[in-house]
Amino acid sequence: MRVSSLQKMRAGAEEAESSGYQRVVLKNASPHHYLRVRLVLEDESTRVSAVDLKTFITSCLRSLFGEVGAALNVDVLKYDEETLTALLRVPSRGLVKLWSSLTLQGFYQNQACAFRVLQVSPFLLALTGNSRDLQLD
Amino acid sequence: MVRVKSRYLLCEINVSDRRDLLKLDDRAVSGTVKAAVARTHGDYGAALCSIRFCVKYLNAHTGIVFLRFPKGCYKLLWSALPFITSIECCGRIIPCFFNCLHVGGTIRTCQKFLIRYNTRQLHRMLPKCKNEEEKRQIQKAILSCSLTGGGDEALEDELESEEEDGE
Repeated sequence: MRVSSLQKMRAGAEEAESSGYQRVVLKNASPHHYLRVRLVLEDESTRVSAVDLKTFITSCLRSLFGEVGAALNVDVLKYDEETLTALLRVPSRGLVKLWSSLTLQGFYQNQACAFRVLQVSPFLLALTGNSRDLQLD
Repeated sequence: MVRVKSRYLLCEINVSDRRDLLKLDDRAVSGTVKAAVARTHGDYGAALCSIRFCVKYLNAHTGIVFLRFPKGCYKLLWSALPFITSIECCGRIIPCFFNCLHVGGTIRTCQKFLIRYNTRQLHRMLPKCKNEEEKRQIQKAILSCSLTGGGDEALEDELESEEEDGE
């Protein structure tokens, strides 16, 4: 019985090879998650530097998750001051904490603010393309 | 079959000055624990703490306290206890630290542990006695320690207010 099933498996594998399609499943492959977020403020002309943004994110984490949350390793990889868009990196087990604390933060220095999360992916390469902003002409 | 389960943490509050211990009351301790959890785990921790947290028993003479936490998140709240450095009570700040001795599913198991622990402490105190009178007193205390009758009257009265069968 076993021999015949092995033969079947080998035959199946050969079939897959010949068709040129292979499926690879990775579970928990990436240690980090990457987010592209934009900070939307009530007063459009406010300047927020990269350092200000980092301290703001840490304070968001601290208010929702305390000192333990503030100790999470969030890195700001890229920051665009014109559009207030940032690329963040966080260890995968901290993604839910970071995302929820960004969502629940409503005020930046006495003005109303909101974090729009544009893209999230465990792979940095996936954040380069975005079908929402795709121009089709 | 379907039951609300809690975890009871048996903690000992260590203070440098024994007279300060007598000033503690359960509201001060509960306020301190809630503040420490809010500092360490933020709004999320404070919300978890508000569900089924209370100080079930406080013995001001020995500094033993029973804290009740919900079963699902007791480890998170337990991790905030080492960050407590002082208790504020009636205007005074008493520096102290919490030492967790036992985690039990019910008050009865914690009580059994506490009685065994107290007898062990008394046994340890016996060789250190300075005179015969103290020795006799300690020996009498050890012999009278038991779960039913005798033992610590105050302990029994407090703990009979909530009956939960062993887990």
